[in-house]
Amino acid sequence: MRAIALLAVATSVSFAQDARERATDPLGRLDPSTRFAVEMLMDSARLVGLPHGPLESKALEGISKRASGRDILVAVRRVYRALREARMALGPSATTDELTAATGALRVGIPASELSRLAATRTGKPLTVPLVVLADLVTRGVPRDTASVTIFQLFQRGAADDDFLGLWRSVERDIVSGTDPGVALLNRAREIPTKGTSSAVPPASGVRPDDAKS
Amino acid sequence: MTDEFDSLDPNVRWIVTEARRPVPVDAAARARVIDAIKAEPVPSRGLGLVTWLSEPHRLALPPFATAALAAGLVGIGVLGGLAINRDGRSAAGQLPAVAVGQPQLPDSLSPRAVKFVLIAPQATNVSLVGDFNGWDSGATPMKTSGGTWTVFVPLHPGLHTYSFVVDGTHFVSDPTAPIAPDDGFGHRSSVVLVRKPSL
Amino acid sequence: MDRYYERCARFAVRMLGSRDDAEDALQQTFLRAYRSLGKYQERDRFSAWLYRILVNQCRSAASRRSQRERVFVREEAALLNAADRRQGWAGEDEELVQRILAELDPLLREAFVLKYIDELSYEEMSAATGVGVSALKMRVKRACDRLRARWEHIKDD
Repeated sequence: MRAIALLAVATSVSFAQDARERATDPLGRLDPSTRFAVEMLMDSARLVGLPHGPLESKALEGISKRASGRDILVAVRRVYRALREARMALGPSATTDELTAATGALRVGIPASELSRLAATRTGKPLTVPLVVLADLVTRGVPRDTASVTIFQLFQRGAADDDFLGLWRSVERDIVSGTDPGVALLNRAREIPTKGTSSAVPPASGVRPDDAKS
Repeated sequence: MTDEFDSLDPNVRWIVTEARRPVPVDAAARARVIDAIKAEPVPSRGLGLVTWLSEPHRLALPPFATAALAAGLVGIGVLGGLAINRDGRSAAGQLPAVAVGQPQLPDSLSPRAVKFVLIAPQATNVSLVGDFNGWDSGATPMKTSGGTWTVFVPLHPGLHTYSFVVDGTHFVSDPTAPIAPDDGFGHRSSVVLVRKPSL
Repeated sequence: MDRYYERCARFAVRMLGSRDDAEDALQQTFLRAYRSLGKYQERDRFSAWLYRILVNQCRSAASRRSQRERVFVREEAALLNAADRRQGWAGEDEELVQRILAELDPLLREAFVLKYIDELSYEEMSAATGVGVSALKMRVKRACDRLRARWEHIKDD
């Protein structure tokens, strides 16, 4: 059986002892009570149909960043609650990636109700990329309302993942060059051609003409 | 209370005995599994290869594997994995099963090589951590060339969160990537979206 | 592969109850195992690593199914009738055992099967499930307690 043959010749690398431990017991470096609590949270996630990977990943992140057990537990709990909220907002068909992206949007203050409305309009297109871009732009200073309205409209009008990533790149560049974040987004969003409209977003009042920084 | 079989309650022991009976295997289903595996491309070697190549390691192989290596039967090319030389660049002349922007594998769930770069001329060492390597700062060290640190990592399509670790202690987000909101530990992480290869 | 396939098949059937679901989970398991050969580090024992994939695939299969239907909803009476069954042929017993296992909460069932059917050590179980040893021991104990309480007279002739 080829699979077994290949396995047999798989190269073995001499990793350090703790690397081997990590492979078999990644949460082993947590103190027992934190570990127990994290595992119970992961159990709960499984029982209610939430992905437990992000919870474990957050715990491992905390270990790597040498956070205290308490801080790790707080962070993992936050992920759990965010995933649950994201699931309620996006519905049972949401993928893990969509849920993760949605937790980012929730974290920057996008209301769950808006995420629900967004999810209601999608027809098979994943929400992952728009939500990631949304969370990033708000973190960079785009006002929440501007960001969510703009991104959502683009999505509903058929913008693709590539459009959102291109949008993100040019807005980020503009912000770094000194453009007001909200203005940058509105300007760049208008450049995206979408179905049925000549411009993606109607111009907002008081917006300066595009500085064309590229 | 021990948990050995003999000390089980006799009724539970009965359940266990019955449950241990082998399950009749449907030959057709099993044949389907074998066919499915045969249809798969040779798997990529993965992270292990990248880290193996970026640092000298002693190889410990079972005896017949050593012979197979010597005979040129097993190696980077034959395994069809990610061909990376020590500089982190794709080795010319070797067929990469996965390369940035050049999908070769038909399976859209297979890992794709993603390049991570950090310009940090003052750093002594930089490694990549993220949800794909358990945030383990020893798992994916990066190589420097004039202060530009690079690594190629095979990632499954989808959303991944990551960060760079500079000199073992400083967590630095990727200035060229979308930000993941507050990690809960006082740092910011970055997001990479790995695309499925188009068929 | 034969040895592994049969053990994995038994685990999948005990966990999922349905042959179809088990076959799907098995196919996914072996495919993923094959695809992930690159991630396999020889330090990890192959069977522990394979179990990890198998456990995850069965969990996914179960959660997918629970969204479609509740397969293991049975009338209490039907189960009591099953328990009253006298020495039947092997097929009846297997069906009975499946129903008994199906009654257990999936996490308890998983721990119980890994411990007593697959006879993994707690360390191996921990590697396969990602759950700590103490939590696993608790689950196994709870599973035994439930089974003992529920099936007091199953052995009676």
